Amino acid sequence: MKIDLLEKIEGEAYLEFKTDGDEIVDVRVLFPHFRGVENILVGKDAWDALVINPRVCGICGHAHLQATASLLESIYRIEITQKAQLIREITRFCEIIQNHLKWCYLVIFQELQIPYDFTTMHQTIALVNKLLALFSGQWPHSAYAIPGGVTCDPTALDIVKAKQIRAQIQSNIFKLFGSFEDPKKLEKDLKKLYETLHAKDLLSVGIGLNRFITLSQDSYVENVKILNKKKRKTKLRYIKEIGQSDSYAKNVTYNNRFYETGPLARLLQNPDFFIRYFYRKYKDSIFTRIIARIYEINILIKKIEHHLNSIDLNQLSVVEIEKKDGEGAISIEAARGSLVHKAIIAEGKIENYSIITPTQWNLSNGSSDNPSSIQKAIIGLQDRKIANLIFRSFDICSVCTTH
Amino acid sequence: MKNRLVWLQGVTCNGNSHSFLNLPTLSSFLQTFEILYHPLLPSLLTLEQLPDANPDILVVEGGLRRGWPKADTDLFDLFMVLAQRAKRVVVVGSCAVYGGIFKEYDQEITGVLFDKEKKSKLYDQFSHKTINIPGCPANPEWIAFGLESDTMHLDDLHRPKELFAVTVHSGCTRNEYFEWKVDAKGFGLKEGCLFYEQGCQGPYTHGSCNTILWNEINSKTRSGTPCFGCTEPTFPQKDLFKTKTYMGIPAKMPLGVPKRAYLTITGVAKSFFIPRLNKRLIDED
Amino acid sequence: MAKINKEEKKKQIMNEALKLFSKEGFFEVTIADIAKALDMSVGNLYNYFTSKDALAKELILYISKVLGEEIRHINMMPLSAREKIKKIVSFYFKTAKEKPEMIEYFLRVYLANREVFKHGCEGMICVSPFVTEIMIFFEEGVRSGELRDQDFFSAFGLFMGYLGGMVFLMGEGMLPNDIEFYVQDISENIYRALKNEE
Repeated sequence: MKIDLLEKIEGEAYLEFKTDGDEIVDVRVLFPHFRGVENILVGKDAWDALVINPRVCGICGHAHLQATASLLESIYRIEITQKAQLIREITRFCEIIQNHLKWCYLVIFQELQIPYDFTTMHQTIALVNKLLALFSGQWPHSAYAIPGGVTCDPTALDIVKAKQIRAQIQSNIFKLFGSFEDPKKLEKDLKKLYETLHAKDLLSVGIGLNRFITLSQDSYVENVKILNKKKRKTKLRYIKEIGQSDSYAKNVTYNNRFYETGPLARLLQNPDFFIRYFYRKYKDSIFTRIIARIYEINILIKKIEHHLNSIDLNQLSVVEIEKKDGEGAISIEAARGSLVHKAIIAEGKIENYSIITPTQWNLSNGSSDNPSSIQKAIIGLQDRKIANLIFRSFDICSVCTTH
Repeated sequence: MKNRLVWLQGVTCNGNSHSFLNLPTLSSFLQTFEILYHPLLPSLLTLEQLPDANPDILVVEGGLRRGWPKADTDLFDLFMVLAQRAKRVVVVGSCAVYGGIFKEYDQEITGVLFDKEKKSKLYDQFSHKTINIPGCPANPEWIAFGLESDTMHLDDLHRPKELFAVTVHSGCTRNEYFEWKVDAKGFGLKEGCLFYEQGCQGPYTHGSCNTILWNEINSKTRSGTPCFGCTEPTFPQKDLFKTKTYMGIPAKMPLGVPKRAYLTITGVAKSFFIPRLNKRLIDED
Repeated sequence: MAKINKEEKKKQIMNEALKLFSKEGFFEVTIADIAKALDMSVGNLYNYFTSKDALAKELILYISKVLGEEIRHINMMPLSAREKIKKIVSFYFKTAKEKPEMIEYFLRVYLANREVFKHGCEGMICVSPFVTEIMIFFEEGVRSGELRDQDFFSAFGLFMGYLGGMVFLMGEGMLPNDIEFYVQDISENIYRALKNEE
């Protein structure tokens, strides 16, 4: 048994390898920290969850905020305006973009020791968060999404500013990655990445379960799973969460099966030529997974442009609501995949709250005959350093997992 | 010689690390330090090597708790070793300053110098070289100030007055509505003050959120969200989207304002109906 | 003759005006009547009050200040809300009995002739010292848990409407007993209506 510490994954985790000679025959991921957010929520006013839940995570707290607002809306049975919907998607897409950029450079490029332009990367991240904050007030830890809509009330001036910032972000992204036009002609940092992995003979390692799941719906994705090339709609009630005795993360399955969630799962829903090219060539390997995360930046920045052009400022930011008690479950896309929030509200107070994070899907601990995606991707390898890199290709969020 | 920096994380969500990455001048700012360890940025040391680090500045993010594993060591022991060696300790974010939000679950979690508003057991040992930059998270420019300046003036909670002498109310774009006691008619409106109904704690919370803008562009209150008082030891309070009142009178007064003075002024201000402040700024004639 | 200062003179004029308004009615009494009662010229009186409306406003401010100061004094006492209610009721009735013109002016002139006070005396402005103290009384009662939390005006209306009604009955000569006879029961009624039953 060999235990490695995995750090700089929004916290830490331990990898417990079982080896036979040099070969890794089994691996378990253990998260040592627990902060009790679900317990903190019990007994609080339902709306207080809008302030507490973003604090689950410093990098994807905005997804937790929006999940909370959507969950209360599903319990109150209200629909928000198209304007509020578009603004929420803009800010959530921003959070996903800054996430992918940080992961790409500070984790993957750092790990592979590929040189990069820190200043441009950083400026882009700060700009994305600025665009986000233009609507949400601040990032991290805003609470601007509330049941009924968004608290902001933008004017045409804000939209003009937003468009200017967005255009600057797009030009920076071009500067970093090129145009994403031809998968056979990767440019700039994408080319560097390809060449590095190619030189190390790593393009095809880390192949996972080839089972993908997305649980939410928005203007970008649908709630579908892909199993044996077949797409089927997903329903939250088939999710099962199972506690583990030696880790603070819970295992999670859909219809008793492990799945991979995240950008690759999202992108494989659509016949997208760019990602299909890599998927056909390298399957769901480390390289395809990395490319999918970076490529999604390009997709989302265009979505934001579309949304900024579609907002009707005359619509209400917040619709009138009537608070209700009840039970609900919703899913929303965070950077790392589908995030699920469930709750029971009684007399306006939280009776029970449960959060399932994307990392739980990808990093569950199965058995050797029923492995999770990460276990499948690692078992059979010889080199623990490569295993470590494959872990990082899933973009792990320890703080989320151990809420 | 560049100052050697270690950024240590305790019980945290990483929010301050990520907030710090929003510092507009980060690239050049980082050139002035030697980063021994930061949980996100390229560092000279690994977490496992941290017990041997010898930092000039120790940044602490997240609450302290004995028994919290940190690589092969205990968070508390690691903190003690590094803090004793450091010339300055910069405590960043309300978890590290007061214990913070996760203390709601685990009472054993404390801040470095304070446990909520009470002085901690570490106060006497470290207060002479420690400054507190609370906030959930702290603003990147506050953190940069904390890292760079050692000539600041500190208040009773060891917060630099340069950042925390003003209230969040100061500089809020809704101030005119506060002056004339025009409350916001609901959420999602740029008109109206959020202090009377929506729970805004801006008038009695120390912080420069509306004088040093977030992400260089905005603030909670400007975007219609109430201030939740996250820079204070009382954070998080309950019922955050409602103003606590006693027979319609706010339970907490603006900072330092006697109740009698406040009620006299508000009674008078409310007696006038100012048409301009009672209609939409745009879209209505 | 000892010279009295301007403020003293103003007070004298206000007291005289209050008496006349109370006896003859607000609209019946002219500035000339007041001047005559004080043995001063109309021109001189205008040095103190530029119009009858201006005098009317100063009067309400003056009364509000007198009442406010007394309630403030009660608010500062280390008493329960229940005991404070009794003190306020007792003081209010005592004033109504000893200086009926004061309370009458408030009820019959200020509240009945809002158009006179439309400019410069809107809303709470001229009664602010009095209302502020009532607010503080309520706020402290709720904060300590003794009184029930509710909208300020529901509580204010109950309190002042009740007291006003009793003073009105007294003024009409309809009360079989001296008004101070009712202090105990009325204080108890108000307390029971406002107290926190949780």
